[in-house]
Amino acid sequence: MLLFKEPDPTIFDPTQSDPGLADTVRTLGAADIFACTQCGKCAAACPLVLTGFPFFNKRLIQTILMGFKELLLNDASIWACQSCNRCTEVCPQGIDSFGIILAARRFAVSEYALPAMAVEGLRSLYETGHAVHLAEAGPPRKKIGLPEKPPTTLASSKALGEVQAIMRRTALAKLGIIPMGPTGESLYGITDKKLW
Amino acid sequence: MRIGFFIGCNVAFNRPDLELAVRFALPRLGVTLEDIEGQSCCPTWGTLPSIDLAGWCALAARNLALAEKKGVDLVTVCSTCYGSLTRARNVILSDAAVQQKVDALLREVGKEYKGTSRARHIVYFLLREVGRERIREATQNCLQGLRIAIQPGCLTLWPRRMCQEGEEDPFHPTALKELCAALGATVPYYSRLLDCCGMGGMRSTDLSKSLILVERKLRSIKEEANPHLIVTGCSSCLLQLDMAQEFLLTRQRIHFKIPVLHYAQLLAICLGADIEKVTAMARLKADYVFARIFG
Repeated sequence: MLLFKEPDPTIFDPTQSDPGLADTVRTLGAADIFACTQCGKCAAACPLVLTGFPFFNKRLIQTILMGFKELLLNDASIWACQSCNRCTEVCPQGIDSFGIILAARRFAVSEYALPAMAVEGLRSLYETGHAVHLAEAGPPRKKIGLPEKPPTTLASSKALGEVQAIMRRTALAKLGIIPMGPTGESLYGITDKKLW
Repeated sequence: MRIGFFIGCNVAFNRPDLELAVRFALPRLGVTLEDIEGQSCCPTWGTLPSIDLAGWCALAARNLALAEKKGVDLVTVCSTCYGSLTRARNVILSDAAVQQKVDALLREVGKEYKGTSRARHIVYFLLREVGRERIREATQNCLQGLRIAIQPGCLTLWPRRMCQEGEEDPFHPTALKELCAALGATVPYYSRLLDCCGMGGMRSTDLSKSLILVERKLRSIKEEANPHLIVTGCSSCLLQLDMAQEFLLTRQRIHFKIPVLHYAQLLAICLGADIEKVTAMARLKADYVFARIFG
């Protein structure tokens, strides 16, 4: 599959590097990224490595530190991260490696490099308050004696309104990747100077 | 003791039988389970945490604030919910800039999070607050003779510094084992015990790679522990191990099936719940295992 193509070694051409990349990712929640010594302990613990994803924590951090933006954006492996946090646990430098993966995703999203399933999850989160929502779950819930709707945002339009109000104040609204307006159209381009 | 119930998306919609099990079991062990009305998704990693740091923390803080207002912590059976809520709280309490943004976002929707309420994972909640003794008394060693392979769930183990109530050594987890032993079962070790189940981002990104992990794990379980049941502490592991066996069986990649339960379901059954109801959504039925025990 093209999605997981082995990166071509010749791509490590320093003239193609974006020197600001590491700083950008750092401000997105990867405060400790410069402490990485590339020892590779995180990779030894990573389920992505075990299953043969070509792009994993150590390599991702290396790519960011070296400023290879295209390489980062052209691979979807960061979205396969299991969030298991083994890498954060074993890092001898005390780096929050999983936090770096989340920050890298935030950067990728700002460049519109995100998989369809992430868009679906976001849309569902915005529309129902649940990233995973099955509209047909009501009857089976009732069958075992539970209310059709759990006592969540599904059962309260006020609560859902709160979730949506918060989401409209995030980078998501500026990106316009899901419809967030009251009439369903995308609020592409909205920025709120008050907070961001 | 009172605790708020953080249900979680997968539990509410994919495995409501697990929700039922929690609602059945905890009150019978002296725990008052409070509904936290208006709770949302934790939110899970692939959504807002991957878009906006402060926005993620604000949604998580909103859930925690709902519990805080009732003066309770949240208990969850899902390790993603546990991980997201715990990590977000950690960021809020350690990063003043994020905290300021979160406060502002919450204020706009009339909420406030002071930082007192937190998420607790049911395995550690049961072990620390209810205790093995109480569980043993209430269940009378009813699973004697049963062999269980455990699957703790990654986010309840790592990172140790954020799972404040977790394992002493997350690479040698004991909590779930002790809880199963409290029901009278034996819990043999198997070499892939710590392996990830392959659910989550990996499953939705590349199913075939995700199946490599779960197949390897299941083979190790069957060959080394040969258990009657697989018991997990995480609703995602529950979904994956249950669904994947069916999938691997039809493709003749494995030639066995082992029913999978969440510990809360197992506990509910031992406390007298209707097996049919608290395992209603399981693809691999466990009835025959309990028929042997309860007659």
